[in-house]
Amino acid sequence: MKSLKVNGVERQFAPDQMPGTLSALLDTLGIGTDAVVAEVDGQIVRREEFHRTQIADGQQIELIKLMGGG
Amino acid sequence: MDKGKLTIAGRTFDSRLLVGTGKFSSPQVMAQALAASGTEIVTVALRRVDIDNPADDTLREIDRDRFLLLPNTSGARSAEEAVRLARLARAATGIEWVKLEVTPDPYYLLPCPVETLKAAEVLVKEGFVVLPYINADPILAKRLQDVGAATVMPLGSPIGSNQGLKTRASLEIIIEQSTVPVVVDAGLGLPSHVAEAMEIGADAVLVNTAIATAGDPVGMAVAFKLAVEAGRRAHEAGPRAPQRIAEASSPLTGFLREQ
Repeated sequence: MKSLKVNGVERQFAPDQMPGTLSALLDTLGIGTDAVVAEVDGQIVRREEFHRTQIADGQQIELIKLMGGG
Repeated sequence: MDKGKLTIAGRTFDSRLLVGTGKFSSPQVMAQALAASGTEIVTVALRRVDIDNPADDTLREIDRDRFLLLPNTSGARSAEEAVRLARLARAATGIEWVKLEVTPDPYYLLPCPVETLKAAEVLVKEGFVVLPYINADPILAKRLQDVGAATVMPLGSPIGSNQGLKTRASLEIIIEQSTVPVVVDAGLGLPSHVAEAMEIGADAVLVNTAIATAGDPVGMAVAFKLAVEAGRRAHEAGPRAPQRIAEASSPLTGFLREQ
């Protein structure tokens, strides 16, 4: 099994199910357009870059959205 | 500088009321309240996507041509966390403005002066327009101004507490000394609170909870708008200072009892 830590939660993937890019990960998780920016192992990734950002076993990924706040 | 208008980092605004977008019951109510408030600057927060409950699109109704989004660093407990959030916000929105808040204490949500100053220095150097949320500390306000903060945002009372201007004496010193706009933020629970802040010379105020959680948020947004305008006009009109004894407003001659 391969794994990613996504928003603090460990997620396991069978090797042939492991998403290859951030966009693929969003599809796998069923997240539409919520994530406006991400971090992969602490590196900021803009939304426009999601589809060409490769992800790999063991990485820590943060998917971040804007929401109401004061 | 355009007299009578709020200018922050070279950008001019007609409205002196900033509004937060938290705690509204629906995106539609929020959009109506924002429109009614006349605001041009609205704060937003950054959070993790809730993977088990996605499609939280509270902000979908915000017209970004009409409102300047001001991302905040709420949730940050240290300078490092605040800088990280600010960078993420800029990457997400393309906006370089950030409401810097560092609140290590979850009970009173008071801002940490040391970490706020540290983060402000870093962010200004990185080209951010930094609007720091601070306690009403005149020395800290000056230090932030010296490192290049675009405004200072001293609190009236703890966030969401509706207590009004508990820090008035210190706010007056900050307003007297500041060369950047003073935006009174937090604890403003009633229109009379924001009127008071504007009367003593604040350049703007930020309100969220009092509008968002009112019985009628749209009606309350209008009330706050009017209060900001009333307070500002009173300030510009030159309010008289209080005095201990009476001063007759009717003439003290020609009384009917006189012989």
